[in-house]
Amino acid sequence: MNAGQQTTRRLASRAGQSICRSCKDTRARNYASAAAAAVQTEDQIAQHVPPVAQISPSTSYAVNAGVVLSRPPQITRDLHPFESAFFLYQRRLNERLALPFTRYFYFKKRTPADLEWKRKMRQRLTPARDIGRYKGYGEEAWNDEILVGAKESDLQWQVERLLKDSEQSGIEGQVEEGGEGSSTPNAGKKVEHEPVERPMPRVTEADLKNDVKSLNRALQRTLYLLVKNKEGHWMFPQDKLANETLHAAAHRILGLAGGVNMNTWVVGNVPIGHHQQDYLEPTKTASGLNEFGLKTFFMKARIMAGQANLKDNKLGLTDFKWLAKDEIQKEVDRKYWQSIKNMLAER
Amino acid sequence: MALRELPLRTASAFCSHVRPVAQLVRPSFRRNSSSEALYGIEPWSPFSVPPPSEELSKTFDPVARSKLRRRGKRELPPSRYQYRPPKYYRGRLHPHQPPPVSDPSSRLFQPGPFSLPRLEQTYQSTIAPDVLTLTYQHYPPGYRAPKLDQRLREWTGESPYFRNRPLRPPRGRGDHLRLLTPPRTFRNVPKITKVTIHSMVPEAQENSAHLHVAGMIVQAISNIRATTHKARHNVVGWGLREGKYVSVTANMEREDAHHFLAKLVDVVLPRIKEWKGVPASSGDGAGNMTFGLTPDQVALFPEVEVNYDAYPPKMIPGCHITIQTDATNNKDARLLLQAIGLPFFGKLND
Repeated sequence: MNAGQQTTRRLASRAGQSICRSCKDTRARNYASAAAAAVQTEDQIAQHVPPVAQISPSTSYAVNAGVVLSRPPQITRDLHPFESAFFLYQRRLNERLALPFTRYFYFKKRTPADLEWKRKMRQRLTPARDIGRYKGYGEEAWNDEILVGAKESDLQWQVERLLKDSEQSGIEGQVEEGGEGSSTPNAGKKVEHEPVERPMPRVTEADLKNDVKSLNRALQRTLYLLVKNKEGHWMFPQDKLANETLHAAAHRILGLAGGVNMNTWVVGNVPIGHHQQDYLEPTKTASGLNEFGLKTFFMKARIMAGQANLKDNKLGLTDFKWLAKDEIQKEVDRKYWQSIKNMLAER
Repeated sequence: MALRELPLRTASAFCSHVRPVAQLVRPSFRRNSSSEALYGIEPWSPFSVPPPSEELSKTFDPVARSKLRRRGKRELPPSRYQYRPPKYYRGRLHPHQPPPVSDPSSRLFQPGPFSLPRLEQTYQSTIAPDVLTLTYQHYPPGYRAPKLDQRLREWTGESPYFRNRPLRPPRGRGDHLRLLTPPRTFRNVPKITKVTIHSMVPEAQENSAHLHVAGMIVQAISNIRATTHKARHNVVGWGLREGKYVSVTANMEREDAHHFLAKLVDVVLPRIKEWKGVPASSGDGAGNMTFGLTPDQVALFPEVEVNYDAYPPKMIPGCHITIQTDATNNKDARLLLQAIGLPFFGKLND
C-alpha cells in the first residue's frame, strides 16, 4: 500500500508543474525580484546595489500616511491560574531549601520589633509573609500543596496578606482566639501601626461602564486610537502624504485629527505596516498617471498625556474610540483588519 | 472468561464502552507506523475525571491522614522512602545517575522563578517593539548584503615567512575585532541578559570587617550569594597586595536582574540628590554599560534602609553596576537602557 501511495504522489507531482511554496512566493513577487534580477545580472561584483525603481511609471498608487496612536499597558497582566499556582509552589519549595532567616541581623533581641516578629512567626510559621501558613522545616514540611479552593496562590490574597502584615502587630489574632488568654500582658496593650495606603484597583470605573473614549480603561492592554471618517468607516487617522516625510506627516495628522491636547511621541522614522486599497476603475491623475489604488503607510506613535478631541478637526472625523486589539477586529472591515492585525500588540 | 459466554453482540457493546479507542481506531485500509502505538494509549485522560466532591475536599486534611496512617507504628527513617540522588557523578556508564537539575530532588536544584517581574512585562509589551521600530533598517526586496568574507588582512609580500602565517591583527591599538551588528529583526532586539554588582574594598586587606559588610550589603540588594575575589597582582598605586581579598561581586540573571533594575530605576536613583545620570562615555562597545554608586547612594536601597543600624556607617561600600545586554554596540545598549529609565549625560561614546 505504501508503495502504491508513493507512486500516486509521484504521478500527481509529474502531472502539473510542481513548485515549492517559497519559490511560489518569490515568483509571485515579480515586481521586485525582476528589478533585482536585472541589477544582479548586470554586475555580480557590486552585489549590494539596491534594485532600482521600475522604468515605466505608467501605473501608480496614491500614498497616504496613517498614525497608529497607542497607549501602552499601564499595569501588569493577570496571571493565569496555572502560573500563580506554579509561583506559589516554587516559593514553598524555596522555603524548604533556603537557609533559615537571619533573625538577629534584622531584629535586635528583646526589642518590640523582635517580639512582634516572634508573634507573627508563631502565626504563619514561616518568614515569608505571602505564602500562607506553611512551615518549610520539620515533620510536616512535605505538606506544601494547597487544598482545593484555597486562596493562597491568588495575587489579591497575597497583597492583602502583605498589607495586613505591615498594619498589624500580631496581637489582634491572639485576642480574638481566646477570651481566657487575656491574662497575657500583651493582650492589654495595643500597638498601633500607621495605616498603609491601598493599591489602586486594577479594574477602573471606565472598565465597568465600558467607556471606550476613556484612556483609563483596560489598563492591562494596549489601547489604539480608532476614528470614524466621513464615510462612516472606522480606521486609524490618516491623510494624503504631501511633500514631506512620513514622520512629519504623522505629526501633522495627529495635530489635525486629535487636536493639540495630546502629548504624543512618533516612534522612529519607518512605517510599521501598510494597507493597500485598490480602486474599481483606475483613475487618471493630474500628471497623467494611471492610479490603481491607495496605499497607506502606518507610523507608530505613543500617547504620553492628554486626550483626543475631535472638535472642529480638519480631517472630517466624526467619532473616536480607544480600543484593544480584539475590539478593533469587530469595528473595522475584514480587508483592513487583514493588513493591520500583525502590527498591533497582542497585550 | 465471563465474556466468552456472552452473546457476541452484547460483548461487543460492552467492549465499546470500556475501550473507546479500540472503536476509534477501527481497522482501516490505511496502515501507518503509529497504528500499533495507538492501541497502547490509555483511553481516558486525567482531565476527564471530575474533581472531588465539595464535602470531600472540605474535610480533607493531609496531615491528619498521614498521622492516622502511622498511628501506633514508628515512622520509617527518611532514607527509606525518600530518594537521595548520588553525591558524586560517577560517569555516564554508572547505573546510578543523578536526576536532571530541574528536578526538585536534585542536589543542584534551585527553586524559581517566583514571579513575573513588572519590568520584564513592560519590556515584552512596550520596550521591545519600540526599540525594534527605532532601530529597524529597511532594505528593498531583492537586496543582498555585501559579502564580508575576511575582516583581517593577509600578509602580502615576497617573504617566504608570509606563507601560512596567521592573519595580521586588526588596525589600530586594539587586539580584537569589534562585534558586527546584524540587520535588526524581531528576533535580535537587544535585551538585558545579566546585571553584575561589583564592590571593591581595598581596606579589607587590613580589616576584614569591611569585606563582610560589603558582602552583606551586596547580598541584600541583589538577592544573590556574594562571591569574593583576591587581588591578582601587587599594585602599589592602589595599595593592592597580591592574594588578599579585596572585592565582592554578585551576578544576577533573569528574575533577579529585572527586580534589581526596577528597584534601582524606580526607588533608588530618583532619591539621589543632584544625580546627573549615567555617564554616556560608559560602554565597552559590546553592549555592556557600567556606572558607579557612592556609599551614601548605596545606603538608599530599601534593603539596606530597613536595618541601616546593622551596618557600621563608615564601612558601607560604594559599588559598580554593570548592565549586560546582548546589543552589539553602545548605541543600541544605550537606547535600551534609556527605554528602561536610565538617563545618560555627557559625551557619547560611540
